[in-house]
Amino acid sequence: MKSTGRKKIQLLFLNLFFICVCLLALVPILYVFLLSLSSGGGALITGASGTLTLENYRKIILEEPFLRWLMNSVVLSVGTMLLAMGTSVSASYAFSRFRFRGKNTAMQLLLLLNAFPQILSMFAIFRLFRLMNLLDSHAGLIFIYAGSMCIFGIWNMKGYFDSIPIEIEEAAKIDGSGNLQLILRIIMPLARPAIIVTAVMVLIFVWNEYLFATTFMLREESYTLAGGLYQLQANDYSRSWPLFSAAAILVSVPILVIFFSIQKYMVSGLTAGGVKG
Amino acid sequence: MKKTTKSNAWLYCLPAFILIGVIVLFPILYTGYISFTNMNLYHWQDFTFVGADNYIRALGKVDSGFLSALATTLLWTGVNMVLDVAIAYLLAVGLNTEGLRAKRIYKTLLVFPWAMPAYVSILVWRVGMFNTEFGLLNRLLTTLGFDKMDFLSKNTPAFLSCMALNLWMSLPYMIVMIDGGLQSIDRSMYESAILDGAGPWQKNWYITIPSLKKIMAPIVIMTTFTMFKQFDILYLLTMQKGAVSGSTLQTIITYAHQNAFVSNNYGLSSAVSMVIFVIIIAFSLWTNRAAKAERSEQ
Repeated sequence: MKSTGRKKIQLLFLNLFFICVCLLALVPILYVFLLSLSSGGGALITGASGTLTLENYRKIILEEPFLRWLMNSVVLSVGTMLLAMGTSVSASYAFSRFRFRGKNTAMQLLLLLNAFPQILSMFAIFRLFRLMNLLDSHAGLIFIYAGSMCIFGIWNMKGYFDSIPIEIEEAAKIDGSGNLQLILRIIMPLARPAIIVTAVMVLIFVWNEYLFATTFMLREESYTLAGGLYQLQANDYSRSWPLFSAAAILVSVPILVIFFSIQKYMVSGLTAGGVKG
Repeated sequence: MKKTTKSNAWLYCLPAFILIGVIVLFPILYTGYISFTNMNLYHWQDFTFVGADNYIRALGKVDSGFLSALATTLLWTGVNMVLDVAIAYLLAVGLNTEGLRAKRIYKTLLVFPWAMPAYVSILVWRVGMFNTEFGLLNRLLTTLGFDKMDFLSKNTPAFLSCMALNLWMSLPYMIVMIDGGLQSIDRSMYESAILDGAGPWQKNWYITIPSLKKIMAPIVIMTTFTMFKQFDILYLLTMQKGAVSGSTLQTIITYAHQNAFVSNNYGLSSAVSMVIFVIIIAFSLWTNRAAKAERSEQ
């Protein structure tokens, strides 16, 4: 009896402790959320005098080029996803199914290339793109993003293709389906979870990228959401923290929704890959 | 039949290889090429080869700033990794205490910083926490009767501020991973340990930590790379264009970036980039080897 009492007190303290930790984790987010609802040009929540308002959200959507940035982000995300997935699905399928000389070397080489932080070759890409006239264009950014996510896509999906038994394909082949048919009708549906998760990761990557987006896009109207948000807090004249906060919340919500809906898969997928490697 | 599959295989890979070749491989080679030239703002087209001068300048001269940046990076990676793993371990073990019913709620709440877009988190901390006027930390300080403090203007406070933010951003991932690892440990080991009279410390030391080691090794290595390559936090907090905070803290990646895009020393920046690449390759080869050796031991 005495020991259960002690246990209860222990649990009570543990709960208190975790409530504090959770608060610590959430305070910055909650504070910015409050900021976004506050009125006035940044003097904010001074006790009870501040009233809560959605004014900032109205302003950011209607008075700033927010919708334009959103549009740019959507164009870039979708374009990148199509290009990156189109190239990496077929490559990862080949890496998983065919035996050819240099396959393992190629896989290792890709991993090595992926280890090079892309910030470091940014200048080289910049020079290259100036030459090719791809600066300040959506196509240029799509190429960069797709190129940098392609290796990730190949590795991520190859693992999943490996886990699909090859007998299924052989059966289909005996039934007389050609290679293309085989991929579209049999493999793609089977590998759907891996393809979807990889595509979502590509989307999140593009949505969250600000450095290339601000370095390669030279006009404000071609900025993405990330670039626009960066601009909002960097520009001293138009700086309004409540406005910035509202934009930050708006940009984060879709990502939070996506994250929590695929979280389960992400965690299990990541650990499975980790243990194997 | 066999021959067609072989050429097919390369055909399937071709689009991906072209893309990677242009966007990833060529820029790396080009960076290597620039690193042997004196390319800068004044020599944009008419640059000449200078041999290994840039490398000598980066590695040989103390005042070039690269070596101190390297020291900062190593300190940053080491301190962050130790704290990240230690704190995450304590929290994960705490979450797994028997009878803690709200575990799932805590876990969901704790994951939020991981789910937020990284650059948004950093900007939010810059504005919401560290800012001298509106920052929560300064409001707290003034309410408690202390003077306001500019967290990002001096090197040591800036380092600690960046570290706090980095831990805030990276702990959730580590907690979730360690929590996953804890689930995979065989319960019966604890039961027999209790029969043998082991206390909580002994259980942690002799069962939990050794069992976690193998599962966590790849995750810890991956995270080490991420911390080593961390750029956004230091850049967005202290060296944004037109809003330099005053600290002179540099990691090797920000050093390379600043030399390319601020002081326009393209040759030096490229040389530094190649050195960083070599460090990363060496480290990954070394970890691969260590992992292989451990596997063959068992």
